[in-house]
Amino acid sequence: MKKGLLSAVALLATVVGAATMTSCAPKNVINIRAWNDEFKRFFEKYVSDEKIDSMTTNEAGDTVENPNAPKTYHVDGVPVKWSIVPSQDAQYQDKLDIALEKQEKASEGEKVDMFLAEADYILKYADSATTQNIREIGVTDMSKTYNYTVQAASDRNGVVKGVSFQCCPSALIYNKVIAEDVFGTSDPAVIQEKLSDWDKFNEAAAAVKAKGYFMTASVEDSYRVFSNNATTPWVDANGNVSIPEAINGWKAQSKLFIEKEYTVNDGVWGDEKNKNIVKDKETGYKGKAFCCFGPAWYYNFCMGGATKGDWRICKGPQAHFWGGTWLMAATGSNNTDAVAKIMNAFINDETVCENLIKNDGQFTNNQTVNARVAAEYTASNKGNEFLGGQNDTAIFLDLAKNIKFENATNYDQICNEKFQQFYREYLGGSVTESKAIENFYKDVKTKYSHLIVPVAEEAK
Amino acid sequence: MTNVSKSVVDNNKNRNAKIKLIIERIISYSFLIVLTVFCLSFFYVLVINSTKSNDELNSVFSLLPSKYFFENLIGALFHPTSQYVNIFSGFKNSLIVALLSSVLTCYFSSLTAYGVYAYNFKGKRIIAAFILAIMMIPSQLASVGFLKIAVDLRITDQLWVLIVPSIAAPATYFYMHQYLKATLPLELIEASRMDGSNEFMTFNRIVLPIMKPALAVQMIFSFVASWNNYYMPGLLIEDDNKTTLPIMLGLLRSDAIGKVDNGQIWMVILLSILPVVIVYLILSRSIIKGVTSGSVKG
Amino acid sequence: MKAISLERKEKKKKVTYDRWGLYFIIPFFVVYFLFTLIPQLLTIFYSFFEYYRKTVGVYIGPNFIGFQNYVNLFKPIDSSGTIDILKYFGNTTIMWIVGALPQFLIALILAVMFTSTRLNVKGQGFFKTVFYLPNVIMASAFSLLIFQVFGRVGPINQIIVMNGGNTVDFLRQKTSVRALIAMTNFVMWFGNTTIVLMAGIQGIDESLFESARIDGASSFKVFKDITMPLLKPIFIYCFITSMIGGLQMFDVPQILTAGQGTPDFTSKTIVMFINEVLRAKDYGKSGAISMILFIITGILSLIVYKITNKD
Repeated sequence: MKKGLLSAVALLATVVGAATMTSCAPKNVINIRAWNDEFKRFFEKYVSDEKIDSMTTNEAGDTVENPNAPKTYHVDGVPVKWSIVPSQDAQYQDKLDIALEKQEKASEGEKVDMFLAEADYILKYADSATTQNIREIGVTDMSKTYNYTVQAASDRNGVVKGVSFQCCPSALIYNKVIAEDVFGTSDPAVIQEKLSDWDKFNEAAAAVKAKGYFMTASVEDSYRVFSNNATTPWVDANGNVSIPEAINGWKAQSKLFIEKEYTVNDGVWGDEKNKNIVKDKETGYKGKAFCCFGPAWYYNFCMGGATKGDWRICKGPQAHFWGGTWLMAATGSNNTDAVAKIMNAFINDETVCENLIKNDGQFTNNQTVNARVAAEYTASNKGNEFLGGQNDTAIFLDLAKNIKFENATNYDQICNEKFQQFYREYLGGSVTESKAIENFYKDVKTKYSHLIVPVAEEAK
Repeated sequence: MTNVSKSVVDNNKNRNAKIKLIIERIISYSFLIVLTVFCLSFFYVLVINSTKSNDELNSVFSLLPSKYFFENLIGALFHPTSQYVNIFSGFKNSLIVALLSSVLTCYFSSLTAYGVYAYNFKGKRIIAAFILAIMMIPSQLASVGFLKIAVDLRITDQLWVLIVPSIAAPATYFYMHQYLKATLPLELIEASRMDGSNEFMTFNRIVLPIMKPALAVQMIFSFVASWNNYYMPGLLIEDDNKTTLPIMLGLLRSDAIGKVDNGQIWMVILLSILPVVIVYLILSRSIIKGVTSGSVKG
Repeated sequence: MKAISLERKEKKKKVTYDRWGLYFIIPFFVVYFLFTLIPQLLTIFYSFFEYYRKTVGVYIGPNFIGFQNYVNLFKPIDSSGTIDILKYFGNTTIMWIVGALPQFLIALILAVMFTSTRLNVKGQGFFKTVFYLPNVIMASAFSLLIFQVFGRVGPINQIIVMNGGNTVDFLRQKTSVRALIAMTNFVMWFGNTTIVLMAGIQGIDESLFESARIDGASSFKVFKDITMPLLKPIFIYCFITSMIGGLQMFDVPQILTAGQGTPDFTSKTIVMFINEVLRAKDYGKSGAISMILFIITGILSLIVYKITNKD
């Protein structure tokens, strides 16, 4: 028996070995890197060509494409290969950096052609040699896009290196059922009036709490509203790290909210937060959360468990934007035509953009289409299904005018992520406030050893 | 009279000893049962929870299985809600790495052990001592330099980089050497030389078959070690199409946001340990024997 | 005359055979040099250099800076004067010890129990199979399992809430996080230790136990005076192996805390630190930490060996 087992193992190993060797053969593919599959879904739905490689025989005896076979996606006949790595703790950036650094010597099938970047670190890639001028590869018309999306994807000389496929003004998303219970109405105009600044917001929180609900789904939910209104960068030109003044607003609010139990001490992507926005089969929204903040991608992509139609949006206490996904053209790509084609499709192809709004609730990076759909919705009194037919496009159209891309640095992802993480340790009672802030600085320093953090005494 | 009393005392003593033994046995078995329950409880929860739906998992805990096992299985395999999970590619990569690593480890460790055991070349003693010495060096010491070289040579992200280093496995070498010392008479090699066998062929045709029991044990250990390895692959692999199962589980942990179906998470954990558990349960006797023979001699 | 020439021939033959021994060890050494020794030397080499990635594609260094990386590691960078590397070393040690104490204690009890001819425990095969099982499970899967079981919405908290308690933040409190990590390591390793110690006891001459029993020695006395002293070499071997493994603790805390060592870095281990710095591509600093780990491991192993070999 043992003999049989061993020779079976040896045989298997040979087969596997041979398989590895043959699978290494380089062939042209479009390599795209991302941290989630949001863009991938839109890309496969609207832009790429679908191919089914396997054939089958139907009842009539004809050879047809097998509908159950896995599909492959192509652009101009070249198959697309994705690599999706989580962004948490800058894992996505770390892995992407290794890939981009070996780009020159990578084989044809391994070169990164396009990668996605977020607002929090787009500068790092836009202002580096790893990305290329998209005007030179054929993305020339950016007249319909929002100016801030172009500015964000440009290096310090104004050379544009990528495009965003969405525009991300952010709003306050609130629960209709809870609004009716607490305020007697769910009319966005009335609710907006009750939440139009932070003082009113905090007062409303007390009222919401009195009825047995949480105000926000998690303590991190309002963070981006404050941080996006910062007037100083996380890291200055000399590499000094400092906490922007605007963050103090969040610190104060989070302390209040935790102390009064207006919210739970969880992350914006946490389990418990998610539980707070999901309707219970038996108890409905009892003990759940009233609101969160986010752009169109947030409630269409990240509120999967929430019940469609039970939510509404309004501007909220402070204008802000959050995130955005830029498509960056990698230097050294051998599929630049395909990359340009994809980019153009998302900013200039009106059918694609219209579909994105109408089918997927997106707010696109094409001003013309956004305006047209918003007007269409207003005329026909229609809108987003998730928001019970509310015309969110019109609201975002208004909010998008104010977006400015300012104070961005290469280090914003880690700074934002770590600040919340360590401050929540303080809110949870594991450390003192000053210790939490020191830990934040310490961790930024571990990640980026060339930055200068305030030393001991200053941190107090 | 004295005889009778003595036998009474003896009887009492015997009975006391018996009672004592019974009590000791009760204590021992209770202890064993408690530990068994403790160990198995994790696996029980894992199996039970892999049969539940997301909603059930988020409401109340129950020790009874539910009916969503196949739904979770199909979901985890074909429609994973976590974008970082691709069980098929994870299994494929893990299998390639673990299988080839264990074969290389076993073959070359045996070859090296045989080389040191059966021949008297110059510096043999130094070499034997050297291999023993390097066994003690923690593997992390090499990781910095290894990553640097891999990045410089642009060979990160290649599965063979995880496989080839397993040719030099000092601990397996040591085990094989001990085994050869105990089982292989040098006369046998002489005899095969008389038959005109080439030295390399002698190793493959005569020595390797003799080492089969040791090979089987070490094959399993090195397979498990490689299958479970997280540290170096985590640093070296940057493309999610090349990730092995442990890395995938790490990514899943990062993705443990509300979006992921909870039933599927349990299912993915179950699937990733199942192959090793099955092999273990089939071969547990020889594996456990292998643990002792390996380490006691060490 | 003939005999001599034959002998010479044989000698000649032997010399040619012995060359084969060298050939056979070549692959091992080539791979060892390329994939282990050179990387190790490079690690040590870079630990004396300033060499890190500033941003994608832009590296600073390598600039020779002597022992500066080591000095920096022992410099406190917060107001409490904590030296990070010592803190992480402390975390690692505590979590290892908390797991290792019950691991060795229970393994010893089990080993004595299983080998006792008097108790004659039945079903040993079953028990051993169960106890060794966690050792073959991948640590990352086991940690994810523990994360699921002890999460805020996991089974344990559901049971607590069902019985009227409040949700417990097992994964956010220093003591519980450390305890969970220690427990996971304990569950994974006590079976292994049991089996090794058992083999050690079985290796002891049975007649020693026999004569002790005839002398009327109690079980405890037999254990103390016969089993333990004779088991010592194997016990020490197990202990040092466990310690080296413990100092390299990585998978369990890394997955359980998503690489953060939460809260307040109290469950961050040295290897997690190396991993973090290495991911940020700071070769100098990660090299220095690796060297420190190497030195600490060496010194501790030596100390344990010296202490236990004294008497």
